[in-house]
Amino acid sequence: MSNLAVLPIILPLASAIILIFFNSNVKVSRFLTKIFTLIGVIVAGYITSETLFNGSIILETGSWVAPFGIILVVDTLSAVLVLTTNIIAVACAFYAPYSNLGEKENYYFYPFFFFLITGVSGAFVTGDLFNLFVFFEVLLMASYALIVLGGDKVQFRESLKYLLINLFSSMLFVTAVAFLYGVVGTVNMAQIAERISEVDQQGILTTIAFLLFFVFGTKAALFPLYYWLPNSYIVPNPIISALFGALLTKVGVYSIIRVFTLMFVHRLELTHEFFIWIAGLSMIFGVIGALSTNNIKLIVAYNIIPAIGYMIMGIGIFNQEALNGSIYYLIQDMIVKAALFLLVGIIAYVAGTSDLRKMGGLIHHYPLLGWLLFISAFVLAGIPPFSGFIGKLLLLDGAFQTDRIIISIIALGTSLLILYSIIKIFIRGFWGEKDTMKNLDIKSTKGMIGPVVFLLLFTVILGVGAEYFYPISNSIAEYLLDPQVYIDSVLKE
Amino acid sequence: MEILIIILSGVLFTTAIYNLLQKQLLRIIIGTVLLSHGAHLMILTMGKLKTGLPPVLTEGVTDYTDPLPQALILTSIVISFGITGLLLVLAYRTTQENNTDNMEQLRGKSNE
Amino acid sequence: MIYSVFAPLIFALFVPWLSKHKDKIHTGIFVFFIPFIIFLYFIQFIGSDFSPIRETINWIPSMNINLDFYLDGLSLLFVLLISGIGALVVLYSIYYLDKSEKLGNFYVYLLMFMAAMLGVVLSDNVFVLYTFWELTSISSFLLIGYWNFKDRSRYGALKSMLITVFGGLSLLGGFVLLTVITGTTSIQGMIEQVDIILSSQYLPLALAFILLGAFTKSAQFPFHIWLPDAMEAPTPVSAYLHSATMVKAGIFLVARFSPIFAGFEGFFITVSLVGIITLCWGSYMAVRQTDLKGILAFSTISQLGMIMAMLGFGTEAAVFAAVFHILSHATFKGSLFMIAGIIDHETGTRDIRKLGGLFTLMPISATLAIFGTFSMAGVPLPFLNGFYSKELFFDATLSLEGVSWLSQAIPYLAVFGSIFTFVYSMYFFFGVFTGPKRFDRLPKKPHEAPFGMLISPIILVLGVILIGLFADKFNQPFLLHAAQAVNSGVEYHEVYFWHGFITPFIMSLIVIAVGAILYLTRTKWNKIYTILPGRLSFNRVYDAIVEKLDTYSKRLTNSYMTGSVRTYMLLILGTTIVITAVYMYITNGFIINLHDTAEVTGLEVSIVVIIIIASIATLFAKNNIAAILITGIVGYGVSMLFVIYRAPDLALTQLVVETVSIALFLLCFYHLPKLRKREESTGTKLINLFISIGFGLLIIMVGISAHSSNWFDSISSYFVENSYKLGGGDNIVNVILVDFRGLDTLFEIAVLGIAALAVFSLIRLKNKKGAK
Repeated sequence: MSNLAVLPIILPLASAIILIFFNSNVKVSRFLTKIFTLIGVIVAGYITSETLFNGSIILETGSWVAPFGIILVVDTLSAVLVLTTNIIAVACAFYAPYSNLGEKENYYFYPFFFFLITGVSGAFVTGDLFNLFVFFEVLLMASYALIVLGGDKVQFRESLKYLLINLFSSMLFVTAVAFLYGVVGTVNMAQIAERISEVDQQGILTTIAFLLFFVFGTKAALFPLYYWLPNSYIVPNPIISALFGALLTKVGVYSIIRVFTLMFVHRLELTHEFFIWIAGLSMIFGVIGALSTNNIKLIVAYNIIPAIGYMIMGIGIFNQEALNGSIYYLIQDMIVKAALFLLVGIIAYVAGTSDLRKMGGLIHHYPLLGWLLFISAFVLAGIPPFSGFIGKLLLLDGAFQTDRIIISIIALGTSLLILYSIIKIFIRGFWGEKDTMKNLDIKSTKGMIGPVVFLLLFTVILGVGAEYFYPISNSIAEYLLDPQVYIDSVLKE
Repeated sequence: MEILIIILSGVLFTTAIYNLLQKQLLRIIIGTVLLSHGAHLMILTMGKLKTGLPPVLTEGVTDYTDPLPQALILTSIVISFGITGLLLVLAYRTTQENNTDNMEQLRGKSNE
Repeated sequence: MIYSVFAPLIFALFVPWLSKHKDKIHTGIFVFFIPFIIFLYFIQFIGSDFSPIRETINWIPSMNINLDFYLDGLSLLFVLLISGIGALVVLYSIYYLDKSEKLGNFYVYLLMFMAAMLGVVLSDNVFVLYTFWELTSISSFLLIGYWNFKDRSRYGALKSMLITVFGGLSLLGGFVLLTVITGTTSIQGMIEQVDIILSSQYLPLALAFILLGAFTKSAQFPFHIWLPDAMEAPTPVSAYLHSATMVKAGIFLVARFSPIFAGFEGFFITVSLVGIITLCWGSYMAVRQTDLKGILAFSTISQLGMIMAMLGFGTEAAVFAAVFHILSHATFKGSLFMIAGIIDHETGTRDIRKLGGLFTLMPISATLAIFGTFSMAGVPLPFLNGFYSKELFFDATLSLEGVSWLSQAIPYLAVFGSIFTFVYSMYFFFGVFTGPKRFDRLPKKPHEAPFGMLISPIILVLGVILIGLFADKFNQPFLLHAAQAVNSGVEYHEVYFWHGFITPFIMSLIVIAVGAILYLTRTKWNKIYTILPGRLSFNRVYDAIVEKLDTYSKRLTNSYMTGSVRTYMLLILGTTIVITAVYMYITNGFIINLHDTAEVTGLEVSIVVIIIIASIATLFAKNNIAAILITGIVGYGVSMLFVIYRAPDLALTQLVVETVSIALFLLCFYHLPKLRKREESTGTKLINLFISIGFGLLIIMVGISAHSSNWFDSISSYFVENSYKLGGGDNIVNVILVDFRGLDTLFEIAVLGIAALAVFSLIRLKNKKGAK
């Protein structure tokens, strides 16, 4: 059964390659994409249930035993993340035909889309640090291709910046892996973890840990490393923004979770304590960024940063509740961000502008759009009964248990400002006189709303039905707190 | 000798970063190339240098240099090459579309 | 009981459908039955032998979040208020809102609010309570913004939402803290563990969190500023949410948590002080208003302050008085709001300066207003419930213990606040219904309201009279239970109209005497408002915060989001260098160990020197070709090193890649602009130099340390041993690549493929564009 582990990577890879050949035929591409993403969800769902009932799926690729070959480790965390990725992929696949990609759809949009999924899934399932780098490159390369797709002036400009900063962080990543190899003589994550614990995480290892944190922090868009994010995320088509917003930064977060729950857990007072401050500053600066602009897409893009802050806060606190909160928040935020990017994309499309100052009274023309935005504001701010609340509640619980008052207050205050930043779009864009916007031609939103509703429905389910998902994330948190389980499952000693 | 190579790698990083901080696109691209050289040398040094023969099995020899870093570098070289290629084309197209190769003029109205 | 909370929500789903037929039948008629039935259902619980009821439905049991509903005297009081006033308000709205309005939205919001409010007062689980609490803020936001084409509506809606959600989040913090302290999510469970809470070091923090939630919701000073702006909502909403129910949620919360916090002196000080200041400030400011609803808004603030203060006193007498006043206030203030709405509806204005002499034209409304205002003013007449409230309040202020300066000051402040209450009550009544008749200045020709609109205020005024005349009929079976839920020591006392010339009565007389004088002379002294508050305005503080948030967030964000890669890189690099170096220093991370190193040979050194020189020369290269060639030297130098260090495959690959790269470079550079002289200030140069050298040094230090720490053998020996045996190849590196780490290679090729595809699409795109 362990061959299951390779499916999350191979399926999208195969889909991408098949779609290259159908590039010129948009209709077939669209159809196949829908089919492939649906298959992806089914497979990921099956894998998730496997991990839930039978434990982690370990695949030693080429049958080379750990730690010598590359090991794929699908534990529940990886499986759930892969599943979430595939759910988002479905929404995007069904949105794509209506997304006004125009002729861009012919420029290998669908293959790149699947290459991106390949890279993301690969990063989630690999148990090898160097292999993680390779998957990072896969997803980054696909993202470079997607971000520049269409070739507007602005897109070229922003993708160049995006590429340069990510290129730098990738090189730093390789170097840090090299350092780690120099010290512990291996690149297998489980073995690295084991060896680090044997020498009690000597100073040099903590130093390397920080280098890795900055590498992943740059990908995850943490303070003070996120500068590349806001502008580059808003230049491509909304569907691409949605994929980026939902997936790319989260791969960084996942890597931080993996590395700092498995390997570097012996100097919590140095590493994790530091993360809490970074988390707090990310929340503050991110939400201030969101308040600073009138561009609705930019508001959403900035809102990625405080959300990442919440997740890192849980890792920093590092107890059962807080980690549980981080996991819950991570999963739901992927979905919410995808929905929100699609949503503001539609709003900008129907309004003909993304400048809030030029909008008004849209609710009279697009009531459904308005209410979806209204709901997502509360989802994002973590107001119950939506999913964000469960994560936030657990984080606060974990924080108070360990006497961390300041970060809790920052987290609460940030929620308010997040709400404000989105509700601003509702008040200024949707409320007001019916004919605030002159010359507004009513456009059809056919096919665009469905995927957004589909995604938002998940956040409601994750919130209202928390009883079904809480035990899963709780068991993941418990599992993460005991790295020996992972090590043993891989090294089988 | 390892120390010397590490210092060399450090110098490559230094010059790479200095180039990256320039305005002109060309210099920035050169910076990225230097950066990957620095990183590759660092990987190589992290296995021991010159402790044996090249890692090609030969009868009667048991002492080889560390093959793993070499494998990693190979992977990395290929990836870097891919990125460099894309970067070059992207740089070329960006310059054409925006009529400048000066990054300071490619700022854009950032927060609007 | 649980169904009664969800009934409004479920019914709300049908409202949009019903509202499609609004031309035939007003949607409100259907909606009316919901609160009315709930009211009838709950009224059965009134009785002397009432004991609390609990019902539970599991929601998220693993997190101890369940729909745990608890009906005791206190919640019963609120449930009846919510459903009773709710029914009257819906009835009133049928006549108030024209069929051309968006009735569907209005009633959906209203039902949503009703459900939320019922949920707040019935939940025993703190997190469920919080859920409903935020839902009241949300529905209030939507109702205030109902006429959102008006700027003031949008402003008021946002303001109320920001302030109440701020409080809500603070409340959440308090709830989590209490949960962590006690290990339970049930309020009753927490009350049982009151000793643990009182001895916790987090008691003050938890109290502060919870009070912040209560004060913002109940519009206590200085958070009261949202309430006057909330008056932009349709009048039925003001009467319902912003007078009778939602603003009392904070009161409810303080009452609910009184059994926990009352033993803590900080509770007495904060709640009494904030309450009494709110009482004084609210009534003082009400006199200044010119908008009828503005007067009522400040009056509500002031009355809420009074109730809050009494809860803060916490004595048996005070708690009973508070509960009594909650009911009284709901009746007289509700009726006054509805009358203000009638006046607005029939005359077209709410500006008291334009109104006057309406008594003859609107006799019924005027009569109702007499009861309402006089009850509010506390005029000693046996059929006005407001008088009893005031007496009980004065009585409570006289028997305070605890912090002495505060206990002594409170009676005087109470009288002060009540004097102004008297003044604005008179001002409201006489300003509207007596005085010169200037009907020609009114937008509409005034006449008495239709009977339907008068039903609700009539019922409320009947309530005022009945509670006044038969206070004990309400107290014993009903209010007593409510008071006992707050303070279990409360015992039953009969309430008398006349109990001799005791201090409270004298206080009342003072209030009336001074109040009457002040009312008659108010044109003489109203200049005082230019001194206090004068320029001191909490609204201005709010506006400034919101505005500064906007400007400063812009300024801050623009200061670093420059769009320049250089800035971004500098910030990223700077942080990485500083933090990593600091932690390297703290952890003694730097190690150097020269034992296990290869010897230094001349050939290698010379290659190293060449590479170093070449790499530095890239900085000074003046033309494209030179720059590329120098970069090429670095590349070839590196391949030379690969050769020396026994890495033939690498050397080969590097040579090929380098050559292809140079070709590519030449191709592209041909099109790129020529290298220019680097033109930058010395400062810029220095910063760049500093950062790049810093980063280089960091890499060197970490590299040396990593290389010097030999704790483990590399896993490579396995590859050496098994390369041929298992991998079937002599070239170990190749075997690793294609076999041991085949996955890497597969995806390395994928990367290359994606890059090729991307380049292809970039170029194809260009050709297409060019063709256009």
